[in-house]
Amino acid sequence: MISVHSPIVAVGVRAVTPLAVIVAAYLFFAGHNQPGGGFAAGLVLGAVLSLRTVAGLYEPVNGSKLMAAGIMVAAAIALIPAAIGGGMLDMVVWSGELPLLGKVKTGTAAIFDLGVVLIVVGLVDSVLDGLGTDDIAIEPVTGEAR
Amino acid sequence: MPFLILFLHVVAAIAALALASRSRAVAVFVAAVAPAGAAVWGLVALLDPTTTRSSSFVWVEGLQLGFDFELSPIAALLTLAIGAIGTLIVIYAHGYFAHPEPTLGRFLATLTIFGASMLGLVWADSVWTLFLFWEATSVTSFLLVGHKNANANARIAARRALMITGAGGLVLLAGMMVLIDATGTHRLSEMAPTTGTTATIAAVLLLVAAATKSALVPAHVWLPGAMAAPTPVSAYLHSATMVKAGVILVAVVSPVLGGTDTFRVLSMTLGALTMFWGAIGALRQRDAKLILAWGTVSQLGFLVLLFGIGTAKATFAGVAVLAAHAVFKAGLFMVVGEVDVRTGTRDIDELGGLARSMPITATIAALCGLSMAGVPPLLGFPAKEAAVEAALGLAGTERLIIGGAIIAGSVLTVAYTTHFVLGVFGPSRNGTATTVSPGRAALMVPAAILACISILGWIFDGTTSKPITRAAAALNAKADVYQLINWPGATQAFFVSVAIVIVGAILGAARSRAQLRVPATIGANAADTALDQTLVLARRITARMQHGSLPVYVLTMAFVVAAVSIIFVQPALEAVGDMTVADSPGQLALALATVLAAWGCTQVDSRIGAALALGVVGLAVTGLFVVHGAPDLVLTQLLVETVIVVGFVIGLGRLRRSFPETGARWRQVRAAVAGLCAAGVAAALIAAEGAASSATAPPTERLVAEAVDEGGGNNIVNVILTDVRALDTFGEIVVLAVAALGVVALGRPALVTPKTPISPPTREEVRA
Amino acid sequence: MSLALVIAIAGLVGFGVHLITARSLSRVVLGFALLGHGAVLALLGSGGPAGEPPLADRAPVGELANPLPQALALTAIVISFGLTLFLLALARRQHELTGDDLVEDDLEDRAISALAEAEALRGHHDD
Repeated sequence: MISVHSPIVAVGVRAVTPLAVIVAAYLFFAGHNQPGGGFAAGLVLGAVLSLRTVAGLYEPVNGSKLMAAGIMVAAAIALIPAAIGGGMLDMVVWSGELPLLGKVKTGTAAIFDLGVVLIVVGLVDSVLDGLGTDDIAIEPVTGEAR
Repeated sequence: MPFLILFLHVVAAIAALALASRSRAVAVFVAAVAPAGAAVWGLVALLDPTTTRSSSFVWVEGLQLGFDFELSPIAALLTLAIGAIGTLIVIYAHGYFAHPEPTLGRFLATLTIFGASMLGLVWADSVWTLFLFWEATSVTSFLLVGHKNANANARIAARRALMITGAGGLVLLAGMMVLIDATGTHRLSEMAPTTGTTATIAAVLLLVAAATKSALVPAHVWLPGAMAAPTPVSAYLHSATMVKAGVILVAVVSPVLGGTDTFRVLSMTLGALTMFWGAIGALRQRDAKLILAWGTVSQLGFLVLLFGIGTAKATFAGVAVLAAHAVFKAGLFMVVGEVDVRTGTRDIDELGGLARSMPITATIAALCGLSMAGVPPLLGFPAKEAAVEAALGLAGTERLIIGGAIIAGSVLTVAYTTHFVLGVFGPSRNGTATTVSPGRAALMVPAAILACISILGWIFDGTTSKPITRAAAALNAKADVYQLINWPGATQAFFVSVAIVIVGAILGAARSRAQLRVPATIGANAADTALDQTLVLARRITARMQHGSLPVYVLTMAFVVAAVSIIFVQPALEAVGDMTVADSPGQLALALATVLAAWGCTQVDSRIGAALALGVVGLAVTGLFVVHGAPDLVLTQLLVETVIVVGFVIGLGRLRRSFPETGARWRQVRAAVAGLCAAGVAAALIAAEGAASSATAPPTERLVAEAVDEGGGNNIVNVILTDVRALDTFGEIVVLAVAALGVVALGRPALVTPKTPISPPTREEVRA
Repeated sequence: MSLALVIAIAGLVGFGVHLITARSLSRVVLGFALLGHGAVLALLGSGGPAGEPPLADRAPVGELANPLPQALALTAIVISFGLTLFLLALARRQHELTGDDLVEDDLEDRAISALAEAEALRGHHDD
């Protein structure tokens, strides 16, 4: 893995991480009314992962499990309405008053968006893993195969 | 009901396929039930003509796609014939095939599906339904003709039949579309008689299609070869079904297009030529089955000629001959099959003494043959009589030419019938008697039933007449006054018939003695050569096009795109004057920056430099999003750009710094094609803009209302993505996941490179 | 669509085509990215002129830009993102296997071509 072993970079990335997570959370919840949404939130988290990888703070893993979870969440949102007698991907909107936050309006679309976040984070993780793997060792093919 | 019967056929086919290896009798019974059901339905419809039986299944409303069936009297008559003969054929096949026969299940299943296709074809009221089932009969008959798939001749014959009838199917489709254009409807029952140029084009196309299916000259070459099929197939396909499809087509469109001279003249010419050529072909053969095959060609010509004439009397005669032919030709083929099974040969030079050793079969053959020759007391006689009368009823030159053709054709028919019966059942050339194995009831009974129908049909001429008159009246309303008459007395036509039989019998007897061998494959070689040359051409193109260089493939595609966009140049030049230069000064500047940065991408020699140039392109495009008023795109594009740059750095970091050199000439070609593409895209966009300027305003208002009320959000773009187009978004994230899996897989060596060396298989393994 | 957008799109497509016909896979990746940008701009431009961001409470409905092509363009961005990453992985793989990232001629295609030529010369086929 290409990583820069520099303490300054490491500290900087450490400092940025919580900020970026907050930004991602904001984008996720703002998405319905303001620019943002699940895809943007996922990409911000992905960017954090890339930064941490470059700084040597994170070892990328295969993100298949995250992506599988994301697809299942989205598929559940797609299929459950159909199973209980509605149309596929029928969305429900809830609105109500919550303490501190005031009037909140959300819906199953937000859960669908959560699936998108999981998939995008999984994607970036996989890409870092797949593109960055350093130790590709190709063993010489012996014998007279091929 | 039609759907039920078709469904019954499909079920029967599957059941026969599954059961044949376990219980042969059950499989045969199951396969016989479906056509029997169809026959009963046809019979009921014939007995009760007042009820109209039609049913439809609509698939796509506006496009008239779906199934439209209507059981007109002619369709009912054909349903009876197809169903009844189909049932007999299944029983006959039980006797014909050896015990045990591993391919019997496949045979019965294909035969049943073929029968269903044929039924759908005669019931079809919509031209689309007709086309669908027409093609289905082509495909299933291909399977049936090539049933003995270990035999090269059978495979070649099947392929030839498929090529010719398949090509005819395409012509049929074209003809049907022109016919719809000419008549304004896709329902055959609603088409009004029409004339004019489009009607003439439709007539020519439909006659070509009919000629391929019904083996009219010169497309007849596939039919004799199709004799490579098992005899039950020949008996079914060439009596009541497959080859009749073309005749039915001519009969059905004759009332619509009969007003055009082209249709009449062309169909009568084709019919007459085919009648002669087929009869002469039959006289040349020494293989009993081929005599019948060529005889079928001749009879098909006769039928097309009759329906082409278009008078009420001729149409009536056509329907009568159609029915009689289905009965006697199936019987004759069954006889040939039985002779083949019991003696092991069909060569009339080798067959001898069969009249004595196979008396019942000989009687059946004689009866069916007499019906074919048009001799009383058999159904063929009043049918032929009606045809002669129809010809004599014409006026002027037509009477002379058509009458002469029908009489001459009838003489030849009698001649080849004599040739057939004497050749198979008369004494052999060297006087020896052929050894005959014991008979089987299943081989004999179906043919005997058909011979009996021929006799009964003649005796009870009134009863036989009714359905035939009704069917003819469905095609030509004036035909309802005609009747089959079993003994007309001393009419002009009767004397003509007597003369025909005498001359024909003398001719046939003489032919039977003469020694003359002619190869059976005249014309077929030409068809095969044409096919082979097409394949050679295809291979040449493959060799030229598929050379293995991906860049050349891509460049070829790009060039085609550029070449096609020439059609946009003219409208683009007209529209370009009305276009705004830019929505804002910033947009113009950013657009130029985008182009400049893209140019930089192609010019930079180092990989990292190119990646950075790509980043600049991304930023410029993001700027364009900003001035366009698309904040979501801005946000997403910026984040995507970040991840892609990271990807470039870690992915290509260890590659050589600069790109490899490429040839200057190749670079010039690429640049030229790329320039053409850019110009083509610009032209297309401008032309599209010009065409769209008159269109309605964007549906922004409705989208806004929907987003706020139903999606519960103010960001309309995101509501569209997660609610209105949520299914697309779901597909999109699945694509992303698949791409990511691909990246992971490509990053892993073990998946591609084998870790353990593979040794070549040992000798024992190869043997195993 | 304004002429400025047409110029930008045509430029992106032209340079994109030039790059995807190159032998080096990393150039092909760049070409696909440029083509993707061109497609997104074409989608966006086809929906009408520029306007205010399509947020329902920001501006009167009449002044908003058409949101539908933006949604389509967003999908297009995401898909071309996935494609670009996949192609990058391919280029890298090629480098691991051959030491460079050049597109090699397809030997299977070469073989098919040679076979077809031989059969065409023979003039007939086995059956």
